[in-house]
Amino acid sequence: MIMLNILTVILGVICNFILYLSFGSLITRKKDHKCPFLLSVVVGFFFYYFVFFFVCVIPMKYYRPLSMLTKMWVPTVAVIVLLSAVLNGSRWVGWLRNAAGYVKKHPAVTLCILLIVLIQAVLVSCTYNFTLDAAYYVANVATSVETDMMNVYDPFTGAWQDHYEMRYFFATYQMQDSVVCQLTGIPALIWTKSVMAVTVMVLTNIVYLLVARELFIYGDLFKGSATAKSADESLSRSNSRAEASVVIMMAVMLVINLTFITIYTSSLFLMTRTYEGKAIVGNLAVITLFYLFMRMNDDRMSIRPWLLNFVVCFGAATISSSANMLLPVELTVLFLPMIVRKKAWRMIPGYFACVIPGVVFSLIFVLYVKGYFVFYTFPK
Amino acid sequence: MQGLNVTENGIWYLRECFANYTGPCAYFMLFAAALVYICIKGTKREKQIFVPCSVFLLLTVYNPVSPVILDRFFDVNSEYYRFFWLLPVIVLVPYLMTKLIVTAKDKNTGAVTAVIIAAILLVSGRFVYADGIELAGNIYKMPPELMEVSEMIHDDSASAYPKAMLEYEYNMQMRQYDPKILLTVDREEYMYAVTSQYTDEMLSDETHPQYKLLAAVAQYREIDKDELTDALEATKTQYVVLNSGHPRIGLFKDAGLTEAGRTGGHVVLKYDIKEPYEFELVDYSVVY
Repeated sequence: MIMLNILTVILGVICNFILYLSFGSLITRKKDHKCPFLLSVVVGFFFYYFVFFFVCVIPMKYYRPLSMLTKMWVPTVAVIVLLSAVLNGSRWVGWLRNAAGYVKKHPAVTLCILLIVLIQAVLVSCTYNFTLDAAYYVANVATSVETDMMNVYDPFTGAWQDHYEMRYFFATYQMQDSVVCQLTGIPALIWTKSVMAVTVMVLTNIVYLLVARELFIYGDLFKGSATAKSADESLSRSNSRAEASVVIMMAVMLVINLTFITIYTSSLFLMTRTYEGKAIVGNLAVITLFYLFMRMNDDRMSIRPWLLNFVVCFGAATISSSANMLLPVELTVLFLPMIVRKKAWRMIPGYFACVIPGVVFSLIFVLYVKGYFVFYTFPK
Repeated sequence: MQGLNVTENGIWYLRECFANYTGPCAYFMLFAAALVYICIKGTKREKQIFVPCSVFLLLTVYNPVSPVILDRFFDVNSEYYRFFWLLPVIVLVPYLMTKLIVTAKDKNTGAVTAVIIAAILLVSGRFVYADGIELAGNIYKMPPELMEVSEMIHDDSASAYPKAMLEYEYNMQMRQYDPKILLTVDREEYMYAVTSQYTDEMLSDETHPQYKLLAAVAQYREIDKDELTDALEATKTQYVVLNSGHPRIGLFKDAGLTEAGRTGGHVVLKYDIKEPYEFELVDYSVVY
């Protein structure tokens, strides 16, 4: 039984990554341009929740059952995965070959990175943590599956609610968990606290890896004002010293996440509440935007940079409402100085497009709190 | 942030909020030191990446006036600390530490630098498992006794959705594991009961009979047994689950509850509702 549960968790994580790769590959695909494989996976995660939001929100608003959403979502995912496989199959094979080549060339580095990720994955999947917020998030998934409805019953008590709580209405992340639990029969606790916890931890470390590589491998080669193109070519010949630097940086990141602990820090959320939307926004989304900013700062983001930023911002807003206030501020402090410095005024519409989802969701919530509208859970 | 609000603290809210956020950790100081280093000795690219955003954050998020202004439009009391997540501590500090190690003049200097950095890291934070690491006892990451209690209630109850009042931790965890068990009290009410005392006026409030149950279960208060049964009746509570050492077990038994089961550390008490009640899910088929 224990082995079966462990296998369930491992398979769940693998399936998640196949989905994220399929979704991500669709928007990082551009003729004659290469996008890092790992970036496709990370962006794919946010794109997955972005698409899910549009499929979920209308049936939920009109109090349709969860099973109806499941019936809508499964074919949607199947079509996207198939389409992506047809369009990107050769890219995936190429990526796999490159990954195998990298492992062969840097076995020790690969092993160290895997070990760093494995330590964190084991910690978040095997430790017991009592958190009050799980009483809402996990219970909401369990309640939605049990009642076959979406956000209609109060997760805390099980009582019927006459209206939707708008704080959580647009954060459809938990409904995706509910869909998977209903479809597979995996209990909400196992899916959220093990499968999603490991998934989010691996994704966060992927972004750490991308950031570290960007800083050390690309940064070293960028010296001497090499052009972006020549630096890209040099990237594939990155030296062992730079690779070792990446490992050391990831190890220090691990130490900081293990020790920068008060009940408020993002590190605590990552280590103990990994599956919660807040942890995803505070760690994964914030650092992903920072990574995209670094690449754009270096003029190395030739594949739809603002679309990727937009998908991350919108996707994060559908994961936790915390993104609505955090990401517009992050976009502003990162990109406005860059736009001014580069005099890249053409970027301004892109910046505004990325800020809009968070601002709109926040305004809707304020209008709800002020009593201007309410979404009832029954016809009125 | 618990215990802090902008109205009371004004421009000092930020200082208090920041102090609570960092606690005993020195990572923000390390970040500041790293930023100064980048400003003085960093490359053009490093300055472009780390300096403008940090300065911008200093002027906005870390400006004592910002929470005061924001609080006029949004309730930021409990969530302002999340803006601190935006400072790229997790990027800059490890980056500079790594850079200092790998760019050392020779191997010996690099090794000494690494040791110094390791020492700085050791004293700069508080280990996440400083109070001990607790491994999950099962794949559900739930106390095994809670699972036993759930099974006990379902075995005993004829209802598909029995309603229960549980001790604090179980009340927060039960519906994650078993959404078929309804709870008498929600999270906020329970948290209020464990952090504050009910006034006599609150306890006599007929519209909130659950206060009497919470007063007995969470505050160990002596409640009149008739009032207790009235509260159980009004809230349709069929089961009360308490720690086996709970001082009010006798009170509940005196009020007519019977022991439906017992685990290693908990007692499951049953109340026979006078007016039978069956919770049913709302039938939405008439709507669509």
